[in-house]
This record gives sequence, C-alpha cells and structure tokens, in this order.
Amino acid sequence: MKTHWQILVVDDEEVMRESLAAWLREDGYLVDTAESGREAVEKATQKDYAIYFVDLKMPGGMDGIETMMQIRRKYADASIIIITAYATVDTAITAMKEGAQEYIVKPCNPEEISLLVSRIVKVKNLQRENSILRKKLSRQYRFQDIISKNARMHQILTLAHDIAGLRSTVLIQGESGTGKELIARAIHNSSDRAQKPFVAVSCAALAETLLESELFGHEKGAFTGAGERKIGKFELASGGTIFLDEIGDISPKLQVDLLRVLQERCFYRVGGQEEVRVDVRVIAATHVNLQQAVADGKFRDDLFYRLNVIEIRIPPLRERRDDIPLLARHFLERLAHELGKDVDEICEDGLKALMDYHWPGNVRELENAVERAMVTCHGRALTADDFAFLAQNGHTKSWTPPPGMNLQEMEKLAIIATLQRTGGNIKESAGILGVDRSTLYEKIKKYEIPR
Amino acid sequence: MKYLYVGATPEVDPDALAFVRDVALANFGAPVRQMELSGIDFAYDANRNQYGSIPVLEMLARCAPADARKLLAVTERDLFIPVLTFVFGQAQLGGRVGVVSLARLRQEFYGLPPNCEVFQGRAVKEALHETGHMFGLVHCADRTCAMSLATNVRQIDMKQAAFCAACAARLPARGELS
Repeated sequence: MKTHWQILVVDDEEVMRESLAAWLREDGYLVDTAESGREAVEKATQKDYAIYFVDLKMPGGMDGIETMMQIRRKYADASIIIITAYATVDTAITAMKEGAQEYIVKPCNPEEISLLVSRIVKVKNLQRENSILRKKLSRQYRFQDIISKNARMHQILTLAHDIAGLRSTVLIQGESGTGKELIARAIHNSSDRAQKPFVAVSCAALAETLLESELFGHEKGAFTGAGERKIGKFELASGGTIFLDEIGDISPKLQVDLLRVLQERCFYRVGGQEEVRVDVRVIAATHVNLQQAVADGKFRDDLFYRLNVIEIRIPPLRERRDDIPLLARHFLERLAHELGKDVDEICEDGLKALMDYHWPGNVRELENAVERAMVTCHGRALTADDFAFLAQNGHTKSWTPPPGMNLQEMEKLAIIATLQRTGGNIKESAGILGVDRSTLYEKIKKYEIPR
Repeated sequence: MKYLYVGATPEVDPDALAFVRDVALANFGAPVRQMELSGIDFAYDANRNQYGSIPVLEMLARCAPADARKLLAVTERDLFIPVLTFVFGQAQLGGRVGVVSLARLRQEFYGLPPNCEVFQGRAVKEALHETGHMFGLVHCADRTCAMSLATNVRQIDMKQAAFCAACAARLPARGELS
C-alpha cells in the first residue's frame, strides 16, 4: 500500500531535502522534492501528494506556513508536516493552527519520523478503504450464491468462473433484472482482485458531463461547482474491477474516452493535465443489443470489440422457467427471516401463477413479487390470491420503448420478433401485427429483414 | 567480471570487516573483493560530533573501482543525515555505493557490557540491509526480514540475518552476478 502514496519534501537546503527524500524512498515511498514554496505549490497541482514535509524557514517571501496554507487551500486533505531547526512554542502553535498535521524539530529521531509517516499512511489507507466501502454495496457475492438449475445458466457460470482469473474485459448482456451485476461481482470475488475494490457505476443514471467526472474524477475548478478535486470511479477501483452497467447508453464522446482507457490503461481527470494510470479490470453490462447498436452506428465498433472480449449472455427468466420455483423458495426463505414473517411455503396454485407470468423484470421482479405477497398474505403459505397483483401488472404495466430507438427501428424489431414467433409465417404474422400481407412484405423489404 | 567490493575506514577492526565480508556479502552469490578506504574526517560535523553520510557516499562513488558492481563501506564513525539524529547506514537506492556504521551496534554504546556475538550479528544484518538497498530493495514489512526498517538496535535484533522470500526473489539470481 506504500507505493500508492506520494510524498513531497520542500526545503531550500539541498542536502536537507535530498537526504530526507532518499531516506523516505528507502522506505518504499515515491518522493519528489521542491526547493521553494512556490515550486511546491506548483508541483501540488500536478500530482496527488499524500504527505508534505515542509521546512519552516525558506527564503523568497514564502515560508513554510505560507506554503502550507496555499497547499491546504487547494487540497484540504493533504497531510503537512512542518520541519524546523528551532523549536519555539509560538511557531509550533501557529503551524498547528494553520492545519499542520505534525511539527518536527530537526534533527529528528528516525523512529519518530518513521512512526509519524506510518501513522499518517495508516489513516490515509483507512480513509480510502472507507470511501470505497461506503460506495459499494456491502454484499459480497460468489458463484455459489447464484441459484439456478438451468443448463444454460450453468454453462454461463462455468464460463464466468473460468475467466475470473483473467484480466480480459467482459461484456455481460441480459435484460434488466437478470443479475448482471451479480455475475460481475461473482467474477470479481473469484479473481485474484477479490481483496481489491469492486466499483459499480450505472452509466444510464447520469448525464454525460456528470458521468465523465464520475468515471474519471475532476480537478478543483474544472467546471462550475467543482469545489474540490474528486477522485473518479476508475481510480477508486484501482487494482480491482469496475462494473459499467448500461454501457450502451453512453455518449459518443465518452465512448472515445472509454476506448482510450481500455487501450492505454490511462486517462485524464476532467480539467486535469496529469495522466492517471490505472490497473482496473472492466466488466461492462447492457440490456440493449450492442451488436445492433453498432450496426445502427450508435455504438463505436472498436469499443464494442474491446469490450466484447469475453461475452456472457444471461437468458431472461421466462426462458429458464425451471428456475422460478427454486428462486421463489430461496426468496421466501430469506425474506421470512428479514421480514420476521412466519411464512414458509408456496402453494401449488401460487407456484402456477408464478410459472405462468412472463416476468419482464426478471429475477428482480420475482424477488419483489415474493416480498409483496409475503407482506400482504395472512396464512403460512403463499397462494395464487397472494400473487393476484401479477395478473394486473401484466395488463396495466406501462410499456416503455427501448432507450435510443426510433419508431421505424421499433417497427422493424416488432416484425422480426413476430416472424420469429410464427416461424416465418407471413399470413399469421400479418394477422398478429394487424396489417395485410402485402404491407408486411413491403416492410420486410424496406427494412431488409432476412427471412 | 564485476565484483562486490567491501572496504573499511582505517579505524575498523579487521575482524569485524572480515565477518561482514564472509558472512553478509557471501549471501549475494557474487565474487567479493576487499579494498582499503581512507578516513572520513572530511565528513565530520563539529556541531553534531558526527559524520555526514552523504559526503561519505559521494566519496565512495568517486573511488569505487571500475570493476565494482557494488561497494559497501564499513566505518566505526557515527553517521547522520541532516534531518535525523543518526543513521545506522545509508546506501544509494539501486545505486553502487553504501555505508554501514558500527558505532551504534555495540552494546557499549548503550552502557552495556560488550557482547561480540550480538555486535557481529547486528553488523551482518545492517550490511545485508544496505547492500539490499543497493540492489534496489526497499523496506520490508516483515519484521524478521533483513530489509525491515530498524530505527533502534532492538529492531535490528528482531531481524534475521537473511532476506524474506519476497525480498530474496527481487534480488538478481545467483547466476547473473557471478
């Protein structure tokens, strides 16, 4: 964890500066030096220093206290240690008041400096870990936690397990609620990165500029409202895995930026000039058909191929109905405990209601359905009546068009889906779609739908 | 052929030097040569009554023989760098030269009766430590590894006169050095 933190030694006296820097380097830290307060402030804007050793007395109109104040104004969380040859109570009080973390009198006992630095680094490591822990869901999934007896799912889990140890980018495709993040977390937790952060970002939730700063961080003053430097998710995931959900929704500009990160393993913070290098495994997920988005020119093909090194397609729940009873019972068991409800069974008719439903929201919807049924049920077993709301859902649930799709594209998809369902039967398809056969032929030709 | 050189300043007991040479430097699997060094009075600081380790390293860099892969100096003088009260030794990280001070390794320094075994053990560990720095090793978190940071003799005594597996793996292979 040491090499992660960089130190700046500021002293006008070369021998003092270089000897301390050399001593700290032997301890494994990355150390830079500055021979004046001005140079220190300049260097602080180029690199993220965790600790500053600043000599109190420096010529040129900018002493240690002034240097510290200027650095702290920009980087409030910088730890500054003031060094002085003359210990006076006054200067020590001034230094501490202005925010110095410590105050040492040279020559200083090596043990003292060593303890000082390791104490600061310990706190910094804890702060970093804490911010990661707060930002990620506290749940740690493993492959054993994924419940399925479906053969296709087992193939997927085997593949995911096999590729966990690799650094290759993974693209997980599947409808909303199929458990894309669950698979991503399981891959992360089975890899040698398990002890490092797993950082999940939903690319659909934020506007382009916000997402850019969310992913790559920003420098203080990079835009209105950027009051402090912010570390992005890529940096937070350093050494670990970043999970980019809804990757299909990102703007063309971010697609370029992301391509660069995947190719070069480095990026710039928004408004920053320092190149930041990261070792991060990327797992992307999407509910839209990315291949189609590439064909339609909405998604860069080079980015798609970079992301799609390993492809995992999770089938929707309606295509693996054999998992419904298993999952429903699992949720029942867990929720009974969480809700403190004495419900321990799902009746035959209740199960039939679940099997008959089409589950557009997939496993997540099933989990919510079981929870709702348990909250309202009165007996010890869930019946078809407890799941009556599903039938209503089926009719009243408002349909939303897939994001980024126009009317013609939706019409094309509707025709393709209907033809697939009828096995290419034009008469039947035309009947379902409510158009006559000649119109359907025209549209098939217009949209170049292969038959 | 490149050698590991070891040299002592004139006041050093030849036995102590021989011990460092035969026990510590033998660990690196490279041929070892011995050389004579001049005194380091030029590095004396009257205010501190100590010797600056930086001018010593500069002198060593100048007088290292052309066939020296590394040069480790041993001195009885008490060494310091300006910001610290003392150092047990210093080396150029990944560089060619390093120095070890025996002054604070003796029990007598702490008002205790002499103990040759303890003294020699400490000298070997510090020689390994500084030579490790010359080979680019930084401090190790393993308290028993020769590369762990020692700021007092207790910590030196806790170490073993050997590198941990992780540090040993970062050293050049034996074949590369001979």
